[in-house]
Amino acid sequence: MQLPEGLRRESMPRHVAVIMDGNSRWARQRGLLTPSGHEAGLRSMKEFIKLCLQWGIKVVTVFAFSIDNWTRPKEEVDIVMTLIENLLKSGLDDFIREGTRVSIIGDTSRVPESLQRTICEIQEMTRENSKFHFIMAISYSGTYDLVEACKSVAQKVRDGVIQVEEINESVVQHELETKCSEFPCPDLLIRTSGEVRISNFLLWQSAYSELFFAKALVL
Amino acid sequence: MDLKDEIQRVRLWVNQIGNFWLRLVWHFVHLLVRSWYLGVGVANVIESYLISSGLLRRYRFIDVGKLRYLAIVVESDDACQISKVIQLLQWLQAFGVKHLCLYDTEGVLKKSKESILAKLKNATLFEEADERDPLLDQKHMTLEFASITDGKEAVAKGGNLLFMKYLKLANSGAEQKEQIFTEANLTEALRAVGYGGPEPDLLLVYGPARCHLGFPAWRIRYTEIIHMGPLKSMRYGSLVKAIYKFTMVRQNYGT
Repeated sequence: MQLPEGLRRESMPRHVAVIMDGNSRWARQRGLLTPSGHEAGLRSMKEFIKLCLQWGIKVVTVFAFSIDNWTRPKEEVDIVMTLIENLLKSGLDDFIREGTRVSIIGDTSRVPESLQRTICEIQEMTRENSKFHFIMAISYSGTYDLVEACKSVAQKVRDGVIQVEEINESVVQHELETKCSEFPCPDLLIRTSGEVRISNFLLWQSAYSELFFAKALVL
Repeated sequence: MDLKDEIQRVRLWVNQIGNFWLRLVWHFVHLLVRSWYLGVGVANVIESYLISSGLLRRYRFIDVGKLRYLAIVVESDDACQISKVIQLLQWLQAFGVKHLCLYDTEGVLKKSKESILAKLKNATLFEEADERDPLLDQKHMTLEFASITDGKEAVAKGGNLLFMKYLKLANSGAEQKEQIFTEANLTEALRAVGYGGPEPDLLLVYGPARCHLGFPAWRIRYTEIIHMGPLKSMRYGSLVKAIYKFTMVRQNYGT
């Protein structure tokens, strides 16, 4: 597909990560309830993914729900979980048709069982797709990712797969949740809402990512 | 045939004119955008001058106590300009910033730490400050020097400490081995292997790219990150503005 004037194909990022922040503020500004903000956020995320697909970006990782977000009111959390489940279910046909592989990273043991089943199903059905990789971080944090990677390494040491002396940063990197991706480290990390921090997202992987903090409240 | 050719020729001509005008519009829009950014750049310079000269009221009284720990990331190429780094630290010292970490990927600043400390009054290494809580030391400016080895490599070393504990428990048949790997234990392990610095509240990036260049990842979960541009173009006013903006931020921590 033809890129817009000014964009050079050889300079395009391979992996773009997005922190979707500002949904609640977006809703408040319009006199709407918070769930409307989350709906708007997910709608704009769908458009963003479509654009990335058209522009030849290979991987998009979206921070949909942080481990820190579990402290939000239960009603809001339940609504977000429902929205995510509906997005995954309704998008399955499109994902398959467009050759999109869907992966979910994070502590999914905490999400509702129906969403857990949907996650398993969608990951299984899109496993062989290779044109585009959509990674959704649900109940995720960078520190959780690192601790889980250390657990995996410890199990491999216990099972004799590797020796303690062989453990280095490369070994740890290969156990992170982003190991499912051909390009685990984002070239570009975008955060909406104007806040200028990465809020415990892809801490290890974003070491050399270009950070872009957009003032817009949704993508 | 002649008519068809004629129509074809007219179509071609119309297309060419259309493309010409579209390109003109595109270049005009480009010019507008460039002029906008030029204007913003000039406004920033003027604002920076006004802040430095104390003419802007709101920047005169800043609660710098809110900034417990500041991190400065410098591109390793820029880090060779030690005089610029020292000037930046002197500004920060005069401003009242007490505790900070200087980072560059290749450790250029680490190698120059003696000459940097020599140029600052009342500055001490972070490791030599009050052991109980270095951040309590208000008499001196404490400086921590970090590089890429304090980042990912440190996490691997901290992880190794936990792996050894895990193997010990596994070999003894104890049941609590799964509780070895927690965020709190990894934080403690990093401290035990000498990589346990505080989490900066604010991280200023001096370099061409808006990127933290591998600053210890474990420590920047909720750190505000501001790109300040190349070190050679640093301005006191921009520094004050960045710190002021930080003091006005309210974090929800995900709630």
